[in-house]
Amino acid sequence: MTRVALLDSQAHRTLRVQAEPSARYGDDRRFVPVGVNEFSLAVVHYPILLSKDAETGAFYCGVMLGFDDGENLFLEDGRNVYRPLNLQRGPFCTAGADIAIDLDHPRAGAPDGQALFDENGKPTDYLSSIVELLRNLRAGKEWTTVFIDTLMKLKLVAPLALDLAFDDGTRREVIGLYTIDQEALRALPDATVLDLFRRGYLQLIYLMIASLKQVPVLAQKKNSRLLR
Amino acid sequence: MTQPIQSVVIVGGGTSGWLTAGVIAARHQARIKAGAFSVALIESPNVPIIGVGEGTWPTLRTTLEKMGISETELFRQCDTAFKQGAKFARWTTGAEDDAYYHPLMLPQGFSQLNLVPHWLRNGNSHSFCDYVTPQGSLCDAGLSPKTITTPEYKAIANYAYHLDAGKFAPFLQRHCTEKLGVRHVLANVTSVNRVEEGRFAGDIRSVTTEQAGEIAADLFVDCSGFRSLLLGKTLGVPFKDCSDVLFCDAALAVQVPYDSPESPISSQTNSVAQSAGWIWDIGLPTRRGTGYVYSTRHQSDEDAREVLLNYIGRQHAHLPMRRIPIRPGHRETFWKHNCVAIGLAAGFLEPLESSAIVLTELSAKLIAEQMPANREVMGLIAARFNDVTGYRWARIIDFLKLHYVLTKRTDHKFWTDNVAPETVPGRLQNLLELWKYRSPWLFDEFDRLEEVFPAASYQYVLYGMGFRTEVEPLDIVGSQSMATKLFKENVAITRQMTAQLPKNRELLRKIRDHGMQPI
Repeated sequence: MTRVALLDSQAHRTLRVQAEPSARYGDDRRFVPVGVNEFSLAVVHYPILLSKDAETGAFYCGVMLGFDDGENLFLEDGRNVYRPLNLQRGPFCTAGADIAIDLDHPRAGAPDGQALFDENGKPTDYLSSIVELLRNLRAGKEWTTVFIDTLMKLKLVAPLALDLAFDDGTRREVIGLYTIDQEALRALPDATVLDLFRRGYLQLIYLMIASLKQVPVLAQKKNSRLLR
Repeated sequence: MTQPIQSVVIVGGGTSGWLTAGVIAARHQARIKAGAFSVALIESPNVPIIGVGEGTWPTLRTTLEKMGISETELFRQCDTAFKQGAKFARWTTGAEDDAYYHPLMLPQGFSQLNLVPHWLRNGNSHSFCDYVTPQGSLCDAGLSPKTITTPEYKAIANYAYHLDAGKFAPFLQRHCTEKLGVRHVLANVTSVNRVEEGRFAGDIRSVTTEQAGEIAADLFVDCSGFRSLLLGKTLGVPFKDCSDVLFCDAALAVQVPYDSPESPISSQTNSVAQSAGWIWDIGLPTRRGTGYVYSTRHQSDEDAREVLLNYIGRQHAHLPMRRIPIRPGHRETFWKHNCVAIGLAAGFLEPLESSAIVLTELSAKLIAEQMPANREVMGLIAARFNDVTGYRWARIIDFLKLHYVLTKRTDHKFWTDNVAPETVPGRLQNLLELWKYRSPWLFDEFDRLEEVFPAASYQYVLYGMGFRTEVEPLDIVGSQSMATKLFKENVAITRQMTAQLPKNRELLRKIRDHGMQPI
C-alpha cells in the first residue's frame, strides 16, 4: 500500500519534493499518458500514439519515450524537451477538489527538493505551478476522452506495428500501440470532416499523424545509444 | 424464364432459427437493402424454446462477428462465459482421478508435425494434452483465454462460449430485426400449402398462419424444432434413428446457484461420467447449468434423479429439474424440394461435444454462401447440401461414439453394452484398427474444408483415454529435433500465458464494467 495523503500546510510544511527529471525519481517510463492539450507541445519531440489501459482496456493517448521497459531516451536532454504533465506532476494527484501527495513516491521528501510551503504556511511558486498543472491535466483528460470516443465511433484507430532492426544486431517488436487510420480518415464523408474541423479534432488528428515522423527519430536515438 | 430465389422464410425461432436468419441476412445484406431479397422468420407466440445446448464452438465467434454483433453485448446480455474446451472425468476407468481434456487449441505446430508418436515415445511424464498445448493448464488454473486489452473476438488462447440459450435467441432476434432487416412474424402456422403441378410440383408454396394470413416464399427453412413441421411432417422425410449407437435418450437438467458470488467460473465444459450416462456441468457468470444425460434402457428416471442429486448435492433437492427427451438421430435428407431443415428439425444428438449450435452455423453458412440463384439450380445445391450435411452427422456420431468405445468401465451394463462391436459404426471400427498403427493427423481422411471435428480432436480423445498407437522408432528420427523444439515452445508459452491471463470471473466482470475494444 502506498501512503497517499491530502496535502496539508501543517503536516507537510517542511516537506520537499524533487522536481528535476531523473530516472531514479520515476521518469524511467517508455510510454506516458498525455492529454490533447499537450499535443502541440509533444509533437515537437515525441510520437503521439494510443495505447490501452491494462486494467480497463480503455484507450488513452500517450507519448512514446523509448523501446524497452523503463526506457526514457529523453532524460539526457534535461529541460531542453517538453516534459509531459504526467511526469511533471511527480507525486501529486487530484483527489476531488483537493490535492493529494503520494508520500512513498521517490520524489517526496528529497532534502534537495523544492519546498511546498514558505515559513508562513503559504504555498510556494512551485506548489502553485503544480496546482495549475493538475488543473490542466484534469481538463485535458476530459477532452481526451471525448476525442478518443469520436475516433472510435468513426473507426479511425488502427494498430501500429513496429518491428525495428538496430545496428547492434538486436530487434525490437513493439506491440499494443495504435495510431490514426489514414485510409479511413481519407474515406470520411465531407460533412464528418467539417464537423471534426469545427470541433478542433482535425488538428489533433493531424498532429498525431505528423508525430509518426518522430518514430524514426526515436529509433535513431536508440540506435546511437546501443552503439555507444 | 427462370424462377429467381428472392425470399426466404424461416419457420421457427429459437437459437437455430435466429442464427440462420442472421447468417443469411448478413450475407445478403446489400440485396436486402436494395429491396431485391427478403428474409422473414415466423415464430409461434406460444411455443416455448427448447433452449438446450449452452456450449458452443469457436466458429461462433466468426459467425457472430460477421453478423455485426458486438461481443461485449453478447457477454452482457446472454450471461456468457468463456469455454476453452471440455474436461472428461471418469470416462476411462471411472476412478476418482480419471480425467482428460479436449481443449480448443490445436497441438503446437500441428500443421507442420504430428506430435503423437513423439509423445508416445518420449512424453510419458506429461498427459498428451499438456505435452502439446497450454490449454489444459489454463483450464486447471481457471484462467480466461484473453485479457481486457485483447480486442473483441480475438483470442490469446482459442475459445468458444458458454451462454444462456434462453437469452441468446432473443438477443439474436433483436439484432436480426433491428440491424439486418429480418422480418419477424409472430404467428402460428396452421397449414402448409404445396405447389400442385408444373415442374416444381411438391414444393412448398406458402404457409397459412392464424394471425398473419398466408406467407409465400421461394425457399423455406424448417427450424421448427423436434416436430420438424415442414421437412418431416409435410414433406415426409423419414427420421433415421441412431439409438443403436448412442444409447442416451433422456436428460434431466437443473440450474444450480454458486456457493458465493465470488466462486470461480470453470474454463471448460465439465463432463462427468456416471453409472448410465454422463453429467454436464457448465459455469455461467450467474449460475451453473447441469444435467444428466442417460439411457432409459439402462436406468429408470427415478434412479437418474438420484444420480444427479448426488452430483449437485442434496441441499439442492428443491431446485426444479426439467426432463428433456432425446431421440438420437437425424432426417434421412435435409433439403428436399425448396425446403431445408436446420437445428432440432434436422436432428439431435446428446450434447457431449456441443455439436448442435456448430452444426446449425455450418448449415446456415452453406445455405447463405450457396444461395441458389434460381429454382432451376436448387436441386444441384440441395444434393450438395445433403451430401455434406449427411457426412457431418455421420462424423459427429462416430466422434461421440469414440468417447464410449474407448472406456474400460465395467461397473454398469451401460458401459459394457457401449463397447459391443455391433453398436460401433463400421467406419469407426476401421479407423480404430488403423489408428493402432498410425495416429490420426493431416493427410488422413479428415480432409474436408469445414470438418466439424478435425484430426486434432480425435488425437485429444484417443490419447486422453489411453489409446495407444504403435510407434516405429526409425519413423520419427528425422523429426526428433523439431518435436523437441515444439515441446520447449509449449513449456514456454504455458508459463507465459499462465502469468499473463486473469481469472475467468475477473475478466468477465471487467467486460461487464468496461467492455472490450473492437480493435
